[in-house]
Amino acid sequence: MLAIDDLTVRYRTAAGEIEALSSVSLTVAKGSTLALVGESGSGKSTVALAAMGLLPPEARLPAGRILFDGQDILTMNAEERRRLRGSRIGLVFQDPFSVLNPSLRIGDQVGEGLIHHRGFTQERAFARAIELLDEVGIINPEAVAKAYPHELSGGMRQRALIAGALASEPELLILDEPTTALDVTIEAQILDLLESLRVRRGLTMLFISHNLGVVRRIADEVAVLYAGQIVEQGATEDVLQRPVHPYAKGLLAAIPRLGQKKGRLASIPGRLPDLRNPPTGCRFARRCPFATPDSEAPQVLRDIGARKVRCTQAEALRDIAWPVLGEDAPSSPVVRAADAAPAVTEPVVAVEGLTKRFVLSNGPLRFEGWRPMRTPVIISPVDDISLEVAAGEVLGLVGESGSGKTTLGRTILRLTEANSGTIRIAGETVSDKPQRALESMRRTAQIVFQNPDSSLNPRKTIRELLGRPIQRFGLAAPGDIPARVNALLDLVRLPAHYADRYAHQMSGGEKQRVGIARALATEPRFIVCDEPVSALDVSVQAAIVNLLADLRDRLGVAYLFISHDISIVAHLADRIAVMHRGKMVEIGSAEEVMRAPRHPYTIKLLSAVPRVDGPIHGRGPTAVSSEILSA
Amino acid sequence: MSRNPAPAMTTANPALQDVLQDAPAAPPRKPMSLQLKAGLAITGAIILLGLLAPWIAPHPWDTISMRTRFLPPNATYWLGTDEYGRDVLSRLLMGTRLSLAMGVSATVVSLAIGVPMGLAAGYFRGWIDEALMRGADVLMAVPPIMLGLLVLAVTPPALWKTALAVGFVYIPPIARLARSVTLSLANEEFIQAARARAESTSYILFREILPNAWPPLIVEASLRVTYAILLGSALSFLGLGAQPPSSDWGLMISEARSFLDRAPWIALAPGFAMCLLVIGINLLGDGARERLDPRLKARLGKA
Repeated sequence: MLAIDDLTVRYRTAAGEIEALSSVSLTVAKGSTLALVGESGSGKSTVALAAMGLLPPEARLPAGRILFDGQDILTMNAEERRRLRGSRIGLVFQDPFSVLNPSLRIGDQVGEGLIHHRGFTQERAFARAIELLDEVGIINPEAVAKAYPHELSGGMRQRALIAGALASEPELLILDEPTTALDVTIEAQILDLLESLRVRRGLTMLFISHNLGVVRRIADEVAVLYAGQIVEQGATEDVLQRPVHPYAKGLLAAIPRLGQKKGRLASIPGRLPDLRNPPTGCRFARRCPFATPDSEAPQVLRDIGARKVRCTQAEALRDIAWPVLGEDAPSSPVVRAADAAPAVTEPVVAVEGLTKRFVLSNGPLRFEGWRPMRTPVIISPVDDISLEVAAGEVLGLVGESGSGKTTLGRTILRLTEANSGTIRIAGETVSDKPQRALESMRRTAQIVFQNPDSSLNPRKTIRELLGRPIQRFGLAAPGDIPARVNALLDLVRLPAHYADRYAHQMSGGEKQRVGIARALATEPRFIVCDEPVSALDVSVQAAIVNLLADLRDRLGVAYLFISHDISIVAHLADRIAVMHRGKMVEIGSAEEVMRAPRHPYTIKLLSAVPRVDGPIHGRGPTAVSSEILSA
Repeated sequence: MSRNPAPAMTTANPALQDVLQDAPAAPPRKPMSLQLKAGLAITGAIILLGLLAPWIAPHPWDTISMRTRFLPPNATYWLGTDEYGRDVLSRLLMGTRLSLAMGVSATVVSLAIGVPMGLAAGYFRGWIDEALMRGADVLMAVPPIMLGLLVLAVTPPALWKTALAVGFVYIPPIARLARSVTLSLANEEFIQAARARAESTSYILFREILPNAWPPLIVEASLRVTYAILLGSALSFLGLGAQPPSSDWGLMISEARSFLDRAPWIALAPGFAMCLLVIGINLLGDGARERLDPRLKARLGKA
């Protein structure tokens, strides 16, 4: 159906030409699903854009062909390509929040293509749009067709986008990270929907994702991309359970498994090679624990049994597991504060009956007799929450977007003011004090943010960023501050010369390390980690999680670890709290919650997690699909 | 369906310990754009001429000499002479200082008031924002020249008052820009981090937000300088700014008005000079905008 042959794509950028794809060849057979997997920078989105003929003008294609049903898309003119997109290929993008035009009705957007490409009248297109919305499992499609995008939830919007892609009766569907912006339960529904559509319509799919668990549910075959090259390709189960290429091994080892609590996660050291001037030999060699002098030679994609692997040592490596590197093993004796001082019974943080309300709008004006009245629309992202965190303990907080986890974290630290409830931090009641009397609490309790790009002031060097809290709280004499900064960098395993860098000169994982170091600068006893790894690639995520675990062991800090990813929380946390619509629905020890969840919502959440191990339930209805209509 | 594929290939990837030494160094400095070079050259030359005026002016700028009235441009008087026989070129050079001083001081006034206003409005929101911004709206509703006239008509004219009045007129655009930049910066997590270590409000405003707000403000300010020069000249033209025998460009044009038919060069010279200065500063501002734009910088930094 789709055959990409020896495709090379280069982008011209201000910093030089980048080779985004190098001689990528793959074929998608009719009616099958091929998944392209890779971390950011691997070139996976470029493949999708190239296949649609939508590459930006900076792109240059020195070599390659993209054959769709025998025709080369690259040699077509713009009009032919447009016609192809309008009729035989459908595309679904990642972010359902920005792709829909906010000022057009859903039905008009879904049917738009039919008017342009099929010559439908407005009315017929709208009627067809309603049928399509019905097909993608939207209840009451007539009403939804008349709605505007802001009235729909993320999952509904993604369904509408899929409906739009199906409008032209395409044979090939290209999906670029279609579930990445969605919650796991919604994600599971969308994956089920895609699977049923594939079966019903005989669709061919090219599915692009960074999430191996998602890929396992949907794809027949998977191709792993690294630095613009396919490093391994084969049947999904085969590759995921028995990866051969070292990169695929590392990627899989870095994913925390549900119900398998290991001491440390494996991580892949190093970073992508400079794509302006990619190495001639193996591109992964510098990060590869199995690298040999042979790796310097150019590597080719070879057939090994039923799959293709780009590694000269493929046969030898088949049964060797990715080593859990000792790179960030603790360098000082492990002291868990909880174990060292069992006499301490006072929890670091104790929250009781905490409630935060936001007034969304004042509500419409109406009259009760002669008196004007308004009933304000109020939401409670934090609704009567009570919890305790013991010294040196990690309390995991799980929930989907909008469940109030971030608000809870910030309310505890008084960055957002609570409406009612008491907060005690390190034995001190802080909920009734004015902001300016919070000095000692601010030192004791710190926060690490989600987005490493936004959490560091871009105009300050790392030295200034880390030195300021020390200076602010007078924790060291001015002359000793540089030494303290170096000690902090060492603690998060960054070399001392990073002190002179600015945030934009570092990678995402490095920035997150600085964010952690900044929180540690005040020598806190409690840190709110607000989705600290969500913005990072899998391999980096593992290293940060390991770092957080080490720091907890060494310094005895307690964390409130907030994440939407229950497998990471389960890996790190001692206890887990589950939030749903502002309420805490379940709290208990990590093992208990994972093994025998009590609340129906927790059960639903756990069953929706896309996993790379365990029984395959992807190609059948999951526990959530029965609720597919309640989206 | 516009979608930028750039992140897919430019986002810096994973970093861990052992390969840290080949982490990306500072991005290479982008070569200056032609626009910026031209702006720098023109503005720089004019500033230099203005500063050196007393020493390079070929004739005294204020000596009246009835024998040399209305001489067209010639070898001795390159730009001719005016109704009192004064050398136009020398007056022009001396006037450069007045115009520049006018533009710069007026802009400093509007920055000094507008930036704190915008920072406070954008950071505190609520009624402070409303009060400050509605005040700015009122100021904006008054035509600039009217406000200048109002201030200057009731008190004896003087150059410093003109500068003050013009600076006042240009507070609203500066305050609005500062506010919008602050609004977006206030949501950044590094501001939350500063609050989480109990930093004072003034530290957050002036040490965390302001350094990030500078680039757009500098660009805006440089463009405001040109507006201020023009408005200052207009007020001088109306007799409400610099007073004779001062050689302000606006005043020179005003005085030359009656002789436009006989001696057009007297008005043309300051007119062209003003034009050149405004173009120079605008080029400089636009060039700086491209260079200082933090988004552009971020894109470069990651490539």
